[in-house]
Amino acid sequence: MPTRRPVAALAVAAGLVVIAGATTGLLLTRHSTPAMRPVAVGVGAVPAPTGPIVGAFPSPTAPIVAVSQRAVPKPVAAPVSLTIPLIGVQTNLLTLGLASDGTLQVPPPNMVSVAGWFTGSPRPGAIGSSIIVGHIDGGGGNVKGVFFRLRQLSAGDKIYVKRSDGTLVEFRVTAVQQYAKDHFPTQAVYGAVPDPELRLITCDGTFDLATGHYLSNIVVYATEVS
Amino acid sequence: MKFRRTTRRLLMLLATSALLLGIPAAATAFAGSATSGTGWIRLAHLSPNTPAVDVYLYSFDDSKAMIVLHHVAYGTVSPYESVRAGDYSVAMRATGASPTSQPVLSTSVTIAARHAYTVAGMGPESGLRLQVLDDDLTTPSGQALVRVIQASLKQQVVKVAVGSTVLSSSLKFAAVSPYQAVSPGAATVTLTAGGTKATSSVTCAAGTVHTFVVLDSASGLEVVNLEDASGSGKPPLGGVSTGFGGTAGHGPGSPVPWLLAIGAGSLLALTGGLRLRRSRQLAIRI
Repeated sequence: MPTRRPVAALAVAAGLVVIAGATTGLLLTRHSTPAMRPVAVGVGAVPAPTGPIVGAFPSPTAPIVAVSQRAVPKPVAAPVSLTIPLIGVQTNLLTLGLASDGTLQVPPPNMVSVAGWFTGSPRPGAIGSSIIVGHIDGGGGNVKGVFFRLRQLSAGDKIYVKRSDGTLVEFRVTAVQQYAKDHFPTQAVYGAVPDPELRLITCDGTFDLATGHYLSNIVVYATEVS
Repeated sequence: MKFRRTTRRLLMLLATSALLLGIPAAATAFAGSATSGTGWIRLAHLSPNTPAVDVYLYSFDDSKAMIVLHHVAYGTVSPYESVRAGDYSVAMRATGASPTSQPVLSTSVTIAARHAYTVAGMGPESGLRLQVLDDDLTTPSGQALVRVIQASLKQQVVKVAVGSTVLSSSLKFAAVSPYQAVSPGAATVTLTAGGTKATSSVTCAAGTVHTFVVLDSASGLEVVNLEDASGSGKPPLGGVSTGFGGTAGHGPGSPVPWLLAIGAGSLLALTGGLRLRRSRQLAIRI
């Protein structure tokens, strides 16, 4: 039956195409991690805020430093807003405490576009590690959070915090680190440091559908610029 | 031969483009040096009868001073400077002395990443020495950490208490007490020596590290309260839940549909192949 031959050949071809397609699909879905999140640095950038920049400490690169006897420095005002020009972040700051389970409070689901300062940490610009957190995204519909592009920051990028007395503090990024949440380095992030520093925290890594949480955190480390 | 060469070229091209695409992605992901590479240092003059000095900080491999503090008088403690971990030396010269002149005193200090140090001129002028103090940055949860540097020459032995907690019952001149955890809040530091007594109100928040420096003052004794470091008094537990997954690539899902499709494809190809072979055999027989 010679008429059957084209049909049989077609079946072989179709079978091979299905195998190739399904194998590709299988492999691609095995590797669909948000590490592939597209990056576009500089897009939607906002200008640096203006205002008096109050530096408490001389720059370590300056060779000459004059000092006077130092007691406990004057307390600084509470932070009210955060600007990160490079990644287009401009947000007011909520105040956040600890949740009843001892974890850090986060902005509510209807406020993913706003960041918050952890009131249990030092104020930005005071000695110590000040903590500001924000969401990477909302619950659905591809809603991006205030810190969606936080992972795009790298050493040297600038961060500004405005305080309630109108003063502005400028920070410079020193490092960006990703940590699995079950190996979160509490001491490195929340521990005491002897100079004015800032840590910005959001989520990253794989989103676990079972728990409704990302498996990793991104921490941006920054120090005050005078 | 030509075919093989073409194949090799194609493979090279594929490998190169993979590298070109992959490397920048990996490099931009976490540029930025780790914070682990820096430590902190501060300089102090705590010798009561030594005149003001100029203090120099040198990186071990650089003869040019990194930091110069001019006219540092007794009782002065500089802010901490963040520096790359490594070996440094600290030199003291008389105020106004040439930067190239022989220092009065010098010492070396190794700065470890994420550690803080105080290098202080201590003791009487006749026995002046540069002492390197290891500064603690680890506070017990919910508490403050305090220590005392005794830099009073007038009162050679001082009892120091914060609230009702005695930090040292007899701290000698030029000695440093161990760190002690204290309850956070406002308290009174009391210095007692011989017949004299001095008090000062301090506030030590949870998560902070303080150094109380006992100094000779015009009227007797005084205490300077230095806030050395600060962090979260009660650190949050674990990671931070800052995302709801709206932009997450959906998880891998079940591999079963893909495996079923592969199976079906194999079946189809196999059946077609068998038919093809049988019809070819038939054609030959005919």
